[in-house]
Amino acid sequence: MKRANVTVALTLIGLAVFVLLEAGKLSFGSMRVPQTAFFPVVLATLLLVFSLILLGQALRGAETGRGPERIEAEGWARIGATLATMVGFALVLERLGFLLSTFLLMALLLRAIESQAWPKVATVALVTSLVAYAIFGWLLGIPLPAGILGF
Amino acid sequence: MALTPTNLLFCFIGSVVGTLVGVLPGLGPVGAVAFLLSLTFKMEPATAIIMLAGIYYGAMYGGSTTSILVNIPGETASVVTCLDGYRMARQGRAGAALGISAFGSFIAGTFGVIGLMFLAPPLGRAALRFGPPEYFALTLTGLTLVAYLTQGSLTKALIMTILGLLAGVVGMDPISGEERFAYGSLTLRDGFGLVPVAMGLFGITEILENLVVISTQSVYETKIKGLLPNRQDWRDSAWPIARGSVLGFFLGILPGPGPVISSFVSYAMEKRLSRYPEKFGTGVIEGVAGPESANNSATAGSFIPLLSLGIPTSAIMALFMGALMIHGIQPGPLFIVKYPDLFWGFIASMYIGNVMLLVLNLPLIGLWVRLLKTPYVILFPLILLFCLIGVYSLNSNVGEIVIMLAFGIFGFFLRRAGFEGAPFILAMVLGPIMETSLRQSLLISRGSFGIFVTRPICAVLIALTASFLCWPLLRRKKSGRG
Repeated sequence: MKRANVTVALTLIGLAVFVLLEAGKLSFGSMRVPQTAFFPVVLATLLLVFSLILLGQALRGAETGRGPERIEAEGWARIGATLATMVGFALVLERLGFLLSTFLLMALLLRAIESQAWPKVATVALVTSLVAYAIFGWLLGIPLPAGILGF
Repeated sequence: MALTPTNLLFCFIGSVVGTLVGVLPGLGPVGAVAFLLSLTFKMEPATAIIMLAGIYYGAMYGGSTTSILVNIPGETASVVTCLDGYRMARQGRAGAALGISAFGSFIAGTFGVIGLMFLAPPLGRAALRFGPPEYFALTLTGLTLVAYLTQGSLTKALIMTILGLLAGVVGMDPISGEERFAYGSLTLRDGFGLVPVAMGLFGITEILENLVVISTQSVYETKIKGLLPNRQDWRDSAWPIARGSVLGFFLGILPGPGPVISSFVSYAMEKRLSRYPEKFGTGVIEGVAGPESANNSATAGSFIPLLSLGIPTSAIMALFMGALMIHGIQPGPLFIVKYPDLFWGFIASMYIGNVMLLVLNLPLIGLWVRLLKTPYVILFPLILLFCLIGVYSLNSNVGEIVIMLAFGIFGFFLRRAGFEGAPFILAMVLGPIMETSLRQSLLISRGSFGIFVTRPICAVLIALTASFLCWPLLRRKKSGRG
């Protein structure tokens, strides 16, 4: 937990500094007439203060809660595969269209979480994408991208 | 007006979806409301709010089912129910536990709605005397209290609050309209959308956490016979239900996750008041009746600040505020005056919703139990798919999917490091209100901060806030010396 806290604290300090620098480009105004940069600067300053407090607590070894449980390599693999698949979905959605993208998404997600036979995966993915299209595209009338399949 | 077929239908849909969400692990009411928000665009505002409220209520009802049957709380406000509820199930008394939970929730929920009906309008009138300094103080108090009540370190909760406020800064300055931190991106120019962020922090993060260790849940195989509690059960539960209703309602009004807190406080209260406190944890019905009632009346109470003052006091209220604003309705003290139909229709639907849920929950328990056995392998991808489509359906903007995923990852790592998401999202929604009232106050006072202490209501709120911030420090000093 201590290492996690130190890392987070340092990252936040970096963020606070970044915000201060960026906000410096906007007009601050004055106390009488606070302008655009006023609030961000106040917030970034507070963030800096609290991040330093956090850093101090972490370095001193103060108990700030239980550490996170260890994640096995398997767990990271599942999380990584799931995220990668979803990012991939976002990237191809408008190119390949809803049906195809959803099919690929479901197929890959089903495999990412647990290894299963391809026929089962393919069937579930196909059924899901068709049903999803029916519900969201047709029943609820949400505009879904057509992509290369043309519908 | 709440009795139109459309509204009744959506009240029903909301209640069912809510119960479903409450029963299934991995997607809490916040995530579900966020997702369904996007689908309510085409609806009338009244219908949308009625449905979303149904979800909130339904989730409270549904969460208790899994707590009792599987010892896994469907959502945080039902954690306490696991203690005695599951024990009762193991003793073959699942039916009584589920029954008293449903009835207690109904009674408390109805009480809460009545309270809402009587308290909100006068409070709204009183709030008309609030000016920018009072609003600034209110947001400050609300955020501080929520941070204070969040699990874990106060420092971390405050940091999440500040990060949320900063997230709210991205986009257009609410007073001057200037672009801030948008870097030319059209998506960012509108700021981080509430729905992508809420779904990321509460939907995606949850699922990712569940992926860490896939555990097989064993649903306690029990024939649930006799869903009705017997007379002794009723006698034992009467006072806990009454106390829970009142306690929950008032705790719900205060800023913070009302239902969660009230369930814990009710359990502690019942244990303290009981003639046999040592039996708590072994399957005592008071330990189910009290907390379950409290969390339901708290849901009604938590609407009061939003409907009468226009200030959301928890993550889910922030979403309701978002829902109203999407339909072009500005919540505030004049809300009840300007939209009486909406307000009263909403109240009526909460009554109806409570009845529907009572009727639904008991017979449908078998269905929920069967659903709990759905393999997580299929469940998780489905939930993720709903999240992705939901976000895309808002503005057909792939960028918002990216924002949702980014916040999902962000939430995942922060949660592991002990940072919670509720203060963040509340801060993000309150940020613009806070900034606007702060700047307006300073304009009025010509730069003097004195305005915050010379106006009475404001001064009281500021004093409250200061005491919450200083309390932990004082406590530590005392124990340090001792």
